[in-house]
Amino acid sequence: MKKERIAFSKFKYDILLLGVLLAAGTFIFLFALFNGQGGTYVRVKVDGKITAEYSLKENRTVTLNGKNGINVLVIENGEAYISEADCPDKLCVRQGKINMNGQSVICLPHKTVIEITGEKQSDKSDIDIIVN
Amino acid sequence: MKKFLSILLALNFIFVLCACGDNQDGKNGGNEKPEDIHSATREIFAMDTYMTVTAYGENADKAVNEAEKEIHRLDNLLSVGNTDSEVYKINSTGEGSLSEDTKKLMEKSEWIYENTDGAYDITVYPLMKLWGFTGDKQTVPDGEDIKKVISDSGFDKLTYDNSTVRLGENMGIDFGGIAKGYTSDKIMDIFEEYKIKSGIVSLGGNVQCLGNKTDGSMWKCGITDPDNPEDTGSLIGVISVRDKAVITSGGYERFFTDAKSGKTYHHIMNPKTGYPAESGLKSVTIVSSDGALADGLSTACFVMGKEKALNFWKKNSDKFDMIIIDDDRKITVTEGIANNFISDYDFDIEKKQYSIPTDT
Repeated sequence: MKKERIAFSKFKYDILLLGVLLAAGTFIFLFALFNGQGGTYVRVKVDGKITAEYSLKENRTVTLNGKNGINVLVIENGEAYISEADCPDKLCVRQGKINMNGQSVICLPHKTVIEITGEKQSDKSDIDIIVN
Repeated sequence: MKKFLSILLALNFIFVLCACGDNQDGKNGGNEKPEDIHSATREIFAMDTYMTVTAYGENADKAVNEAEKEIHRLDNLLSVGNTDSEVYKINSTGEGSLSEDTKKLMEKSEWIYENTDGAYDITVYPLMKLWGFTGDKQTVPDGEDIKKVISDSGFDKLTYDNSTVRLGENMGIDFGGIAKGYTSDKIMDIFEEYKIKSGIVSLGGNVQCLGNKTDGSMWKCGITDPDNPEDTGSLIGVISVRDKAVITSGGYERFFTDAKSGKTYHHIMNPKTGYPAESGLKSVTIVSSDGALADGLSTACFVMGKEKALNFWKKNSDKFDMIIIDDDRKITVTEGIANNFISDYDFDIEKKQYSIPTDT
C-alpha cells in the first residue's frame, strides 16, 4: 500500500512535469511560428542612419565608426556581438551576443546600434554594393 | 498513460524542431550561399577614399593581400600630393619619365580626350587647384585667373612618347579622374591570377566586379539617388552586372557653397569654360568591362550633357553603357543594360538607331 502511494505520487508529479513541458513546448512552437524567427541580417545604425547591413550567416569582424569612437562588431556562427569599443562605459561589450529578430546591442556614447533583422532595409532586392 | 504522454511530448518537440528547420529553409529561399567557399574582405584607406576589396575562392586571402599592395603602389605612383610620386615629379619639373602604368594611363586619357571633344582632360589639375578642389578650402576664383589657367591647359599642349612626357608652361596633370578605375582593373587582373572566380571591389563608391556572385547570380549594384546621396535606402535603381565596372560621377559628390552669392559649385570642371560643368545632368553612371574607361567616361559624359553623351554612346556602344539622370530627375538607360536595370521610377531606354540616311 505504502509502496503504491509513492508510485502514484511520483506518477502525479510526472504528469505535472510533462504537462508543464508540453505547455512550454507548445508555447515555444507558437513563439517560433509567429514571432521570434532567427534573423538573417545584422543592421548597423549610427545616429539613426543605417550605415551597413551584414549577413548573420557570414563570419566577419568589422570596425564600426560611431559618433565619437569605434566599436568592433563580430559576427560569428550566426551570432553578433561587440567585442571591443573605446567608449567609457563598455556597456555595448557587456550586452553579449544576439541572434534573434529584433534583438539589439546599443552603444549610447557612439550613437551606434546593431540589430538583428529578417530582411535588409536598404533595398528590396538584396543589393550587394552601392555605387556613388 | 505515461508512455502516451512521453510520446506526445517527444512528438511535440520534434514538431518544434521541424518548425524551426522549415523557417530556416524558407528564409534562404533555396538561394543560399555555399558556405564552404572561402572568402576574404579588406577595408583600405587610400587615394583619399575608403575602399573595400572582397574575393571568393581558395586563394582569396592572398589575392586580397596582393590587391591591397597594388592599391598602395598605384597610390604612391599617381598621387599629386606625394612628393615621391611620378606625377608629382612631372608636375613640379614639367617633364619626367613614364612607367608602364603612367604610360597606359596617358594613352587611355588621350583616347577619352580626343573622342569626347576634350570633355575629359587630365590637364585640369591647375584649374582644380585654383578652385581649391585639391585641398580643403574652395573658393570661386577670379574670372581672369580662370581664363589664364585654361589658356595654358589642354591635353594637346603636352607631348609624350614611350617613356617620357613633357608639359607646356604652367601645366599640370592629375590622373584622379581615371586612377581608381585603372586600379580596379588591376585588381581584377590580380583576382584572375589567383584563380578567383568571384570578387567585388568598391574604391570610394567606384565598383568593379569579377564574375558572378558565388550563387551564380549577377552582382546587384545600387545606384545612388543624386538628390539623396546620404540615404542608402533611397536609390535611383539597381543594375545587375557580371565582369563589369560600374562608376558614377555626379555634382552631389563634392561641392561647396559660396558664402557671398549662396551659389553652389561642384567639383566636375568643364575644361573649356573653367567652371563646374552645367550640362543639365545630376549624375552619369557608366557600365563597362574597362574600369579606367568607365571612370574617365563618367566625368566626360557628365560634362558633355545628355545629347552629346548619348551620341557618343551610339558610336561606342560596344565599349560601354550608361545610366543618365538629368536635372528633372528623368532617367535614361542605354539599350545594352536596360534589361538588367530595375527602378521604382520611370526610365527611358536609349536605342542604337542604325544609320538612317540623311541629306547633307
